[in-house]
Amino acid sequence: MSRGSGGGYDRHITIFSPEGRLFQVEYAFKAVKASGITSIGVRGKDSVCVVTQKKVPVRQAFGSDQCHTSFPHHQVPGVVSHCMTADARTLVQQARNEAAEFRFRYGYEMPVDVLARWIADKSQVYTQHAYMRPLGVVAMILGIDDENGPRLFKCDPAGHFFGHKATSAGLKEQEAINFLEKKMKNDPAFSYDETVQTAISALQSVCKRTSSPTRLSIMVLVNGSYRKRALSLHLVGVVRTDSPAFRVLSTEEIDEHLTAISERD
Amino acid sequence: MGDSQYSFSLTTFSPSGKLVQIEHALTAVGSGQTSLGIKAANGVVIATEKKLPSILVDEASVQKIQVLTPNIGVVYSGMGPDSRVLVRKSRKQAEQYHRLYKESIPVTQLVRETAAVMQEFTQSGSGRPMLGWLQTILDFNGNCGVRPFGVSLLVAGFDDNGPQLYQVDPSGSYFSWKASAMGKNVSNAKTFLEKRYTDDMELDDAVHTAILTLKEGYMHLKLLFF
Repeated sequence: MSRGSGGGYDRHITIFSPEGRLFQVEYAFKAVKASGITSIGVRGKDSVCVVTQKKVPVRQAFGSDQCHTSFPHHQVPGVVSHCMTADARTLVQQARNEAAEFRFRYGYEMPVDVLARWIADKSQVYTQHAYMRPLGVVAMILGIDDENGPRLFKCDPAGHFFGHKATSAGLKEQEAINFLEKKMKNDPAFSYDETVQTAISALQSVCKRTSSPTRLSIMVLVNGSYRKRALSLHLVGVVRTDSPAFRVLSTEEIDEHLTAISERD
Repeated sequence: MGDSQYSFSLTTFSPSGKLVQIEHALTAVGSGQTSLGIKAANGVVIATEKKLPSILVDEASVQKIQVLTPNIGVVYSGMGPDSRVLVRKSRKQAEQYHRLYKESIPVTQLVRETAAVMQEFTQSGSGRPMLGWLQTILDFNGNCGVRPFGVSLLVAGFDDNGPQLYQVDPSGSYFSWKASAMGKNVSNAKTFLEKRYTDDMELDDAVHTAILTLKEGYMHLKLLFF
């Protein structure tokens, strides 16, 4: 039986392949793309905004919270996690715990970059120990730092983490980053509205929905009779300097921004 | 037969006497960003290119060159996340030394302890094929199948023995260098350094030479400040 290079196990556990690659880590990145949704994060002068898509299982009756991929995290930083929801839940659970312990131990809220570094270091451990696979999660951490203002970090399954002015993760990651690079080329300092609108328009442009339905009209069976319900397809989370707690925008607020974007264009 | 059947388990030598995972780790280092160090008469310089994946990345959040103690710094080539682990462990070791001896740790000691950590990860745990899948066995440290670090470090420090430069490899072996380079393009960089290096170099000359060496390796030259 031909084993191939690396004994064939370099694809099963996180050991090096002969070319010095970690296949399991690369596969974890593919798992993130397989989720089929894209998230965008944009940092402005005094706010940070993340936008993500909701996966809509049409045949189910549901409330607007069900497809939750955005986790408000210990009141201050927010986390958007991509793909395998079970992995994401574990990551967020551990991160919340760590943030709470930090607060208890040191008497002040865990700063965004410290949390991002902690998540990234945890991910690195999974890339080095054979018995645990890397998590199929790309996490975007956003928050307002007391000293440095609005911060946006992205942590990936390989254990890398960077601060970003704007970034994207998921299926259309590269297209979104190209769009954002053009927008952020001259280092603009976006106001809150501009930040949110840049993020939403980036998502719209990569999703190529020219009619851009912001809502899905569905028929829901409620109490024995059919009702029409509207549901926003975007999930938008923000943190602002004047209200640093992570907050998910309501459908009405999202609509306002969408109107502003279409008026502008 | 051959080496491929032994490349998963680090505690097993291949028939040719190699630990194949370490070879692969060195390949990973060799595809990382170039970094180099030069020891001058009155100091040491370490340098690397900070290549970011996009202009959207906040470059202030990325630090490739890290401080271990006020008089020891380190740069890496290879996998960034692995380097963070080593930096953290080294910083802790330096602190523990200071707590015990009330003195800053000498460069050689810190390098030796860092190298020992890297060596541990080439010997801990094991996996052996069992009926077509990999059974991993715990060793007494509770480690079960770890891979070596995918980084080489250049440690630059100044202590009572003067300026020093050490390179530590994924295998845990370390050497003291007058000038060294690692990562991509390493042979060109080393040739350039060999031509340019002199024993009585001043620190400013060394910085200048370091930048020139990095520029040599650029495919697309981007002049930022000069």
